[in-house]
Amino acid sequence: MTTSIFYDRFERHAHGEGLKGHSTHYCPGCGHGLAHKFLAEAIDELGIQDRTVAISPVGCSVFLYYYMDVGNSQAAHGRAPAVAIGHKTANPDAIVVSYQGDGDLASIGLAEIVSTAQLGIPISVIFINNAIYGMTGGQMAPTTLMGQKSATSPTGRNPLMGEPLRMAELVAGLTGPVYVERVALYDAKQRTRAKKAIRKALECQVEKRGFSFVEVLSECPTHLGMNPQEAERWVAEEMTKVFPLGLLKDTPEARFPELPRPSFAVEPLLAAIAATGELPERFATGFPKHLAPHDVALKLAGAGGDGAQTAAMLITRAAIHEGFDSTHIPSYGPESRGGTSYADVHVAEREVLSPAAANPHILVAFNAPSLAKFGPAVLPGGTVIYDSSVIREVPPIAAGVQVHGVPLTQIAADLGRVVVKNVVALGALCAATGLLPRESLLAAIRLALKDKCAMIPLNEEAFAWGEKSVQTH
Amino acid sequence: MTQTQAAKRPKPFVFPEFCKGCGRCIEVCPKECISFATEIHPQTGLIPIVLDLEACNGCGLCITACPEPYGLRPETPGADFELQDPEAMFGPRPTAAPEPVARPDRTVALPELAPMVIKGNYAAAIGALLAGCRHVYGYPITPSTEGAELMAKVLPQLDGVFLQAVSEVAAVNLMYGCGGAGLRAMTFTSSPGFSLMTEGLSYMIGAELPGVFVNLMRGGPGLGNIAPEQADIKQVCRGLGHGNTHAIVLAPATPQEMLDLTLLAFDLSIQYRNPVIVLGDGYLGQMTGRVTLPTRMVEPGMPEWAVAGDGEHRRNLICSIYLSDRDLEEHNRHLLAKYAEMTSREQRADLFYAGDAETLIVACNTPAQMAKGAVQELRQRGVRVGLFRPVTLWPFPIQKLLPLLPKVERIVVVEASPGQLEDELRLALSKASVYRPPLIESVRHYGGVLPSQSEIVAQVLAAQEVAS
Repeated sequence: MTTSIFYDRFERHAHGEGLKGHSTHYCPGCGHGLAHKFLAEAIDELGIQDRTVAISPVGCSVFLYYYMDVGNSQAAHGRAPAVAIGHKTANPDAIVVSYQGDGDLASIGLAEIVSTAQLGIPISVIFINNAIYGMTGGQMAPTTLMGQKSATSPTGRNPLMGEPLRMAELVAGLTGPVYVERVALYDAKQRTRAKKAIRKALECQVEKRGFSFVEVLSECPTHLGMNPQEAERWVAEEMTKVFPLGLLKDTPEARFPELPRPSFAVEPLLAAIAATGELPERFATGFPKHLAPHDVALKLAGAGGDGAQTAAMLITRAAIHEGFDSTHIPSYGPESRGGTSYADVHVAEREVLSPAAANPHILVAFNAPSLAKFGPAVLPGGTVIYDSSVIREVPPIAAGVQVHGVPLTQIAADLGRVVVKNVVALGALCAATGLLPRESLLAAIRLALKDKCAMIPLNEEAFAWGEKSVQTH
Repeated sequence: MTQTQAAKRPKPFVFPEFCKGCGRCIEVCPKECISFATEIHPQTGLIPIVLDLEACNGCGLCITACPEPYGLRPETPGADFELQDPEAMFGPRPTAAPEPVARPDRTVALPELAPMVIKGNYAAAIGALLAGCRHVYGYPITPSTEGAELMAKVLPQLDGVFLQAVSEVAAVNLMYGCGGAGLRAMTFTSSPGFSLMTEGLSYMIGAELPGVFVNLMRGGPGLGNIAPEQADIKQVCRGLGHGNTHAIVLAPATPQEMLDLTLLAFDLSIQYRNPVIVLGDGYLGQMTGRVTLPTRMVEPGMPEWAVAGDGEHRRNLICSIYLSDRDLEEHNRHLLAKYAEMTSREQRADLFYAGDAETLIVACNTPAQMAKGAVQELRQRGVRVGLFRPVTLWPFPIQKLLPLLPKVERIVVVEASPGQLEDELRLALSKASVYRPPLIESVRHYGGVLPSQSEIVAQVLAAQEVAS
């Protein structure tokens, strides 16, 4: 019944001077000291002192780290479960205890406790419910009883303030936790049960069973305006009516999957990010200066699903593989999941500076709104390729701009797969502009399809039809 | 229970100065051995209990009932507890835990690799992986989400952890826990999400924890839109939660820098035990470009201060509480000294035709690329214009700017924000005692519109006309 889990001297308690070196900061009769003791004894009995990380919350138990000779981490108000999971995922061998009061856990930290409990990662939560805010001076807690007077329910908690929140029941109702129990401290029998429950909560973690939660009904004589004995009776007689004691959930057969331990080997990392030492083949003999001296701007625009972004990405990849610089900015957000979809692409001899393409040299328009919107912005001497299968009217386009209507959708449909219309467009773009050699774009297409090799001949065919449609235009 | 066994069980004793007189022991004692003293204890101001152990059978219920760690205890067999004093009994040292020693990082050479063609978000994620980060906590938010998506795909292959948090508030606190355990944690977010993380950032800075935040700014205020903006500059440079907070802010301008600066961010974060912000605009997350991988990666060690959940680090504490005002003032002085060190050592800027510039454009992120294009265009016309691109927004690289100023007649600040970059510039000039700076003009856009190259060119030319 003595334990070495408490520091020999509480040096963090006012530098351990005087009585504070061996006394807690708790008021006479407060339940926290007992819960601390039972936690310390359980850590001792299970031999896990070195592995234990205790998360101190905000509230009266904010200074848990004054006392427990374990790894200590102090959390922001309500966030202890998140901090606990940070520690647990950092070191799966750590035994992490989130020790929280009712304001911390049941009010400001509701999102964290509910999501962490449902996550089910093995940590142990000790929840001290004393039906009041202690540290701030006796305000109403989510667990304050109906009719109970507090600094913020001066005439007693009434229905306008909502009813007390039963956390153990709420947590036990989730599928994540493996063990949930509510205990109390008001007599010798309850204290024995409380101690066992706290120990069991830690065992659930040592045995990697999962998330455990012990709600401890506790006395706050100071803010109840009672002496310690009256407070014990109040918990026994009043609190237990609203917060019945007992086991709410226990699934002894549960086992949480093993948490990973990071690898820092080079090869798996390079494989995971698809980095390769193989330099791509080059086909270009120089920068396409016939289009622009140093930097060609392109816009590819259509409806979501037209493949404008994929085609843009293929151009960017092919250009970079040729040793040029290139950028691709997609329109992103809701419209990229349907609706309109625009891609701005630059291919630069050395470096892309302005990556947007408000006035492109080349426009590929897959639908009428795109052509209407961007057609007039194409620079003189530029090129427009549009899908003549779906666009009937061509808006006024600057003189000196080459305009190619190509039945992209029709060609793709004739090939049996409408989705390859963007590759038809790439073929047309290649033949009409000479931006990049055909081999260069085809290599990028083949690379993109390396996991779907069966699709390569169809795409090659689509590309060739695109080229042909412009040449015969 | 036999009489002999009962006699062997230790009886309780108590130092009255450690008794708060709650009386839990009194009511639990079956033999009525315990009562309240008749006088207030002079040291505590409380009425302790007194023991009359004639009838005590050593049942121990009183000891279990005592809430104080050093309250009622079993008496040591054979000891005369009247003569014992707390120091002697409980030991002079606060803990027997060892003094931890730092385990240094190891750098591992990478083979020569082909340039990658990837989005900025992916580039930042790869930078983090190469920096030894295997713990990513995040909440999806456009335009940063692909970073989390790549990590969710890649980390399981590297036995790392990607955890989708319940909110950005939880995400930053997961980072607090993981960073507190001495590991490299990061998140991807965008403006509204970053706002939610500032509470946790203040705690991380207070507790001196590392962690990297990639914030790809979008249009605001409020929900705004998802287009690129730069209006979080004020928040990251001046408003990282409550209290005396600062963090190094790195501002990439290309997908390549998304990788390079994320990698650097981890180094700086560990070095200074402080969060680091990689601040991009929405375009930088979404833009695909050429990214060359570095020649080395990091296998992280373990800092001595971590709460790693093992015996070696048991004595450590992660905490931002300093209850005494003197202690907290001292802690703030320590933080200020650290900020001063960052300010003197970590200023970074990229200069483009800045050496002889009479008009100096100041811009960062994607607008700096637009500005670079403008400088190139204007130089071809013979205009003496250059670009000063702060790579660190905090600390503002004033040391790199001061040598240029004698030739500079005008500064044009180009930004997608209502003057937040200009404010940083003006504050830095003022702190550097530049009381008569060059005329400062601006090209600004808001709400997701970026300044264009042609606008910048026009502004610089207009300034030239006025000057001539």
